[in-house]
Amino acid sequence: MYRVHVWKVLLGILPPHSDSHALVGGYRKEQYQDILEALEVMRYVNSSTPSTHIYLHMFQLESQVLPRCSEITPPDEENEDFLSISRAMEEIVDNPVDCYWLIKCFISQFHLKFGDSIPHLPKSLEHYLSQEEPRLLSHLKNTGALTQLPYNLWFKCCFAGCLPESSLQRVWDKVISGSCKILVFVALEILLSCKIMLLGINRPEGMVKFLCNIPRENTDAIVTKAIDLWHKYCGTLVHAV
Amino acid sequence: MRSSHVGHAKPHHAPFVLPPVGDTVGKQPETKEWTSAGTRVWIKYRRHTAVGGAVRCSTWRRPVECSSSNRGAWRLYWRVGPGVLQAGGDGHSERDAAASTSCTTTTTTTTMAREQPNVGDLLPLLETSDRHQLEEIRGLINEQLSTERGSMLLNSLVDYFLETNSAQAVNILSSVREPHDKHLLDRMNECMTKQACRLPTLTLLGHVIRKQPSWIHKIARYPLLLSLLKCLKTDTDVVVLITGVLVLITLLPMIPQAGKQHLWEYFDIFGRLASWNLKNPGHVSEVYLIHLHASVYSLFHRLYGMYPCNFVSYLRSHYSMKENMETFEEVVKPMLEHVRLHPELVTGTKDHELDHTRWKKYEIHDIVIECAKVSLDPKEASCEEGYATMPESFYPQIHMRPQDCTSSPYTDLHSSYGSSSSTPFSTPRQPLAPPLSLPPFSGTQSSHRSPQTSRRQNSTCELNSSCGGKDPLWSPSSLCGMATPPSSRGMSPNLELSHSASHLPSRFHCTSGGKGTPASSTPATSSPPPTLSDDFPIISLPTNTVQSSPPRKDRRHAEGGKPVLVRQEPVKDVEKSAEISANRDSGAAENVSMTLTELSVFMKKQELELQLRTEKEKEEAAITEELLKITEEKQELPSLRGFDSPFFHTTETLTGYQAQDKTHSSVQAGGSVRDAHRVSSTPDKAENTVNSSGGGGDSRSSALGLEQSWSFQSCFTPIDHHLHRSPSALDDEVAKLGMFSPSPRSKTPAPVPYESFFDLALPRAASLFVGQKTTEAVHKAALEKLLQREEGLEDGEEEEGVVSASPLEVLDRLVQQGSDVHDKVLKRLPLPSKSADWTHFGGSAPLDELHTLRSQLLLLHNQLLYERYKREQHAVRNRRLLRRIINATALEEQNNAMKGQLNLQSVDILSLRESLQVEQQRYRQLWEDRETVVTRLHSQIRQLQQGRDDYYTKNQELQSKLQECQKTMDELEAELQRANNKVCHTGHLLNQMTIKLSNSESTQQQMSFLNKQLLLLGEAHKLSMQELHHSSTDNTKETQMLQVSHVKEVETLKQSLLLQGQKLEAAQQRVSELETHLSKKEHLIAEQKKFLEDVKCQAKAELQASDNRYQAQRRITQLLQTELLQLYSRVEIEAPASNAASSPPGGRADPHAPADTSVPVPDGPSKSHKNEAAASRSPHDSPRGNGSTLSPGQPKASNSSKSSANAVNGSQDLAPPLLVEPLLSCPHMSPLAPLPPVDTPLTVGSYPSAKSFLGMRARELFRNKSESQCDDDEEQQPPPPLLAGLAHTLKTELCVEQPGPGYTGPVSPAPSLAPTPPPASVPAAPLTVSTKQPPSEPQRQQQRGSNQESPRRKAGAGGRGQAGAGRPRQQHLKIMDYNETHHEHS
Repeated sequence: MYRVHVWKVLLGILPPHSDSHALVGGYRKEQYQDILEALEVMRYVNSSTPSTHIYLHMFQLESQVLPRCSEITPPDEENEDFLSISRAMEEIVDNPVDCYWLIKCFISQFHLKFGDSIPHLPKSLEHYLSQEEPRLLSHLKNTGALTQLPYNLWFKCCFAGCLPESSLQRVWDKVISGSCKILVFVALEILLSCKIMLLGINRPEGMVKFLCNIPRENTDAIVTKAIDLWHKYCGTLVHAV
Repeated sequence: MRSSHVGHAKPHHAPFVLPPVGDTVGKQPETKEWTSAGTRVWIKYRRHTAVGGAVRCSTWRRPVECSSSNRGAWRLYWRVGPGVLQAGGDGHSERDAAASTSCTTTTTTTTMAREQPNVGDLLPLLETSDRHQLEEIRGLINEQLSTERGSMLLNSLVDYFLETNSAQAVNILSSVREPHDKHLLDRMNECMTKQACRLPTLTLLGHVIRKQPSWIHKIARYPLLLSLLKCLKTDTDVVVLITGVLVLITLLPMIPQAGKQHLWEYFDIFGRLASWNLKNPGHVSEVYLIHLHASVYSLFHRLYGMYPCNFVSYLRSHYSMKENMETFEEVVKPMLEHVRLHPELVTGTKDHELDHTRWKKYEIHDIVIECAKVSLDPKEASCEEGYATMPESFYPQIHMRPQDCTSSPYTDLHSSYGSSSSTPFSTPRQPLAPPLSLPPFSGTQSSHRSPQTSRRQNSTCELNSSCGGKDPLWSPSSLCGMATPPSSRGMSPNLELSHSASHLPSRFHCTSGGKGTPASSTPATSSPPPTLSDDFPIISLPTNTVQSSPPRKDRRHAEGGKPVLVRQEPVKDVEKSAEISANRDSGAAENVSMTLTELSVFMKKQELELQLRTEKEKEEAAITEELLKITEEKQELPSLRGFDSPFFHTTETLTGYQAQDKTHSSVQAGGSVRDAHRVSSTPDKAENTVNSSGGGGDSRSSALGLEQSWSFQSCFTPIDHHLHRSPSALDDEVAKLGMFSPSPRSKTPAPVPYESFFDLALPRAASLFVGQKTTEAVHKAALEKLLQREEGLEDGEEEEGVVSASPLEVLDRLVQQGSDVHDKVLKRLPLPSKSADWTHFGGSAPLDELHTLRSQLLLLHNQLLYERYKREQHAVRNRRLLRRIINATALEEQNNAMKGQLNLQSVDILSLRESLQVEQQRYRQLWEDRETVVTRLHSQIRQLQQGRDDYYTKNQELQSKLQECQKTMDELEAELQRANNKVCHTGHLLNQMTIKLSNSESTQQQMSFLNKQLLLLGEAHKLSMQELHHSSTDNTKETQMLQVSHVKEVETLKQSLLLQGQKLEAAQQRVSELETHLSKKEHLIAEQKKFLEDVKCQAKAELQASDNRYQAQRRITQLLQTELLQLYSRVEIEAPASNAASSPPGGRADPHAPADTSVPVPDGPSKSHKNEAAASRSPHDSPRGNGSTLSPGQPKASNSSKSSANAVNGSQDLAPPLLVEPLLSCPHMSPLAPLPPVDTPLTVGSYPSAKSFLGMRARELFRNKSESQCDDDEEQQPPPPLLAGLAHTLKTELCVEQPGPGYTGPVSPAPSLAPTPPPASVPAAPLTVSTKQPPSEPQRQQQRGSNQESPRRKAGAGGRGQAGAGRPRQQHLKIMDYNETHHEHS
């Protein structure tokens, strides 16, 4: 499976030159080990700490936001996003070194690249929904659920925890490749596929609850359709944002 | 039951009859006007009848009851007749009837219909006269029959019929459908076994069979046929036998194939009945025998016609026996004389006859006609194809028949006597359209044959007259109005009507010529036809005309007809008078013309009837006056005449004849006549009364009869109910009797129906009798004789030369006589005295007679029905034949058209042929022209060809000449060339010569010139020789030497040049080589550049990674440091108290403590000193303190072992920059944020040996700090005080100095200004230092030295500010240097 490898190259974890892969890989590994060691030394983590939290602390350390050991607070929203992404990534990648690096680079790249466009995604979702299924949109608007949709889960966690990993991989492929629009279409497709259910629900809370726990059976189909939609609206990859 | 019927009957009866009475009464004044005497007589008669009717009612009750069943049936017939079948014309009577019965019958019917308990209960209600009610009930019954499959209802219907002879029942039964036929036949079979029911059952069977239901062929399989045959073989009742035989005869053509089984039974029946005639086992009256004979005769015909071989073989076997010989002689042989040899006897066999395939192609009427064909009897025979000649020869009267069966109606009519004459009555049956459509066709033929018809008429006159003798044109069928088939004979009137104009003259001629009667009659006869032709479609006729026409006939017959009849004897005696014949003919013609008109009148009959009755009375009274009227109203006549003429005609003749007979007998020898014949005897009885009563009585009776006859006719006109005529006639008559009687007593039924039946004919006869005073007595006597002869001795008649009368004729005659008798009886009746007597003493005598008469009447009826059946068959056949004729004519016309076309085409062909010939001629001419032209052209061609040949030869000659010329030309040319050559050659030679000449001339000149030069040269030579001799020859050697040297020089130069050139070449080669080399190098360089780039990229990525790593490392370190600091702070926070107490002694006491505490110790004071400093600064302060504290320890470190010293030094060396930088950076984090990242790489760059080494060092430092310190402590045990002291002192110094550069710089500008100048003054040192940094050791030593110096100096100087200033300056310089290096790098 070259996905992880490709992701690593794409995310800059490994250089384009394959000659230096081993060297850089060594560096990465050492860095990871150093940080881990440091954290262990500083007793931020111990053997019982879940790996996602380890990753989180490492990430915090690297971004110099690691709080004091004594000041460690329960993870806030941003950390939750990181944790959910890392949970998903952990499923995808076996090697903890790779996993950490992928998480770190994915998040940093995501924020670096799409930090600006993320706030606009809900609007574009609304736009596409009006084109695809105006009825559902009006229903959502009428019930007031439109503003309460789980945008955080969708656009900040990139569906981590929402879709199963097999489907998530494909979404992330696109994200890593440089398109955050795919997230909109996945969200749109989720709405469309759950259209009947959503039309049946009138309370926005129920809707959000339902959307946060969408059935996992047909997510592959949803993703496929979403990709189709993405192709339809954003054309080829060249034009993708 | 009976009483109820009577009760029913009366209400119907009365209203039906009454209106006419009213009419007659109303018209009475008119009659009075005409003849007062007649009226009187009539009135009287009326009275008489009224009384008589009353008497009869009382006296004849019993006999009536005896024959209740039959009478009931008849009455029913009568009732049904007018009620159901008469058209709207008699609606009023029905309405009356309904009105009278509505109280009783209608209510019961409706209620019953509603309840519908049993349809059988409704049966009595069939007798109602209300048409709607009747239809309702019939519908109900039919529905029941169609739904129910059981035999209940059917059986009850049959029973009902047997009981009442109900016409409706017959109607329903005879139209019964498929599943019920079995029940019906079974039921009838049951009834056949009972003696009492046999006759009505047979009657019913006859009705059913004549109706020809679709299932009739099945009858052969049912036992009914067997029982019928058995009955015929065993029964002794003549009436039953005759009825049965007639039924059988009717049935035979319907089941021809069934004959196989029963054939011999048929024959046995025939044998039995034939012998019956002779033996008369039952001793029945002769009248019956006549009927029986007639029916046997019919059976004979039928059997002979259908199964000739078998029948003949039967006859052969049966009559070969002795005992039967007599029968054969008497009965069968005469019959055989009336048939001709059946073709089947020749061609067929017994088996073939019975083969059912033979019958398949025949329809019923076919069979009947087949049978009729072989008959020679004019009454029985058919006139169809192939059999014409025989009758012709046989009967002169029929002579004309074959010629124009279709075209000439007259002959047919006349030859078929009664049947034809009675056509008027049957014509109503025929649809109106066919006769109308036919006229044109028949008309053409008839017009062509007008002469023939005239002739024929003559002949028919003869026929009529002759037949009139034997058979006075009166037949029962004619009387009842059932007879001729409508088809061909029906046509004939049409023909006459439409084309009467053509016939008219001839007829006119006949009438005028033949008739001796006044001319007034001729217009009458002649006039009708045109009117007919014009107004035929118009059926409605004014009553006046209707009234007027009969009288005329009456009169005519009264005048002419009578004589005819009287002279019928003469006819037989071969004394025919033209007059009579003509007269008859005219009458017949009229008859014929009437027949069709009957059609139109049919609708009006009912009304006409009433008026006619009265009219006839008038006629009788005033004939001459009517004649005038006739002429006026003749247009309408035809209908009227058609209506009544046949009847009247026949009746007239008959009555006239009878009247004569009567008178004759009465006058001459009445007794003898009576003896001769029983029938004739009765008239004789009446004769007295007639005589006694006188003319008045006669006239009255005649009037009565006339009326009756009219009403009678009107009653029977309906198509379907001819059957019931005669019986109903009886009732009718009875009713009339009652009606005419002034008093209501007349309601009682007539006691003697049979008499009343004959009454029909009587009146006219009576009136005629009265009207005609002159009678031929002689003829009467002859007639009497003839009668006897005819009836008794048929052989005798044959002997007379005339063909023996057939049984049919005999029967006719019998009926005639019957009517005669009836006449008499009727005459006798009116007499009051007589009637009174009847009741008392005559009761017994009439009983027998009455019975006889009644059964006779029955037989007569049966016979009539049979005849009618035959007629129907004929009608069917005629219709078919007609269709064929139409087809044939159509084909013929088509043929004609085709012929015409053929002619046209042949004409076309002829014209085409002519044109063809013309064309051929023209073609030939053209051909010839062409030929001539061709020949001419050929000759021309030939000429031209010759010319051409000539030209050819000439041409060849010329060509040969030309060739010769050319040859000569060639030769000449060759010569010319040769000459030319010579010329050229000579010319050339000439040129050469001239050149040579010029050459020689020039050489001569040169010679002369050379000679001159030679001379001159010689002189010059001489001169030079002279000079030469005079000049010296020394410098030659020198020049030679010079030359040699020059040459050598030149050679060397040349060699050098060569060398130079070679060198140049070599150089050039070298240059090119170098150039290629250069390009290669450049390429290499480019590649290397690329590679370098690649590597750079790679390195960059790697560097990035390592940078990352480094960053991470830094983060880690920072974190560790913060952690460390935090820990420190915690320790400090925890420590102060303990430190304050233990630190002074701890410094020496605990070797570890000083090391540990040494750092915090100076901090402590600093802290204590700088309490005002912010808490956040404390961590920064402490390192500095730390750093400063450490620096003093350097000398000791240098003193200690190298490694440890290094370690310590290193740490101390490194610590300052490392720690200082963060310290610097940390405090200035906000303003100098970019500095630290910039610095770090520089430091790395400036210390190439660092990096990992540095990291390791740092780690080692941190990790082994305690250890090294321990080691240090161990090693530095001796100098601890020093160190401590140094530290202590330093700390104090530092505490004073440090803040200066560190904190004052930013805080106050004054100290900061101080350091800034130094860089300018000290740049050299740091620069050198920086350059010499790689050899870090000296610099460190220097630094150390300086450091050492400075503390020393400090110590020496006692805290001079220079040292403090120098160090910071140095650091600053270092920083600057970093910056510079960084700039250089970047």
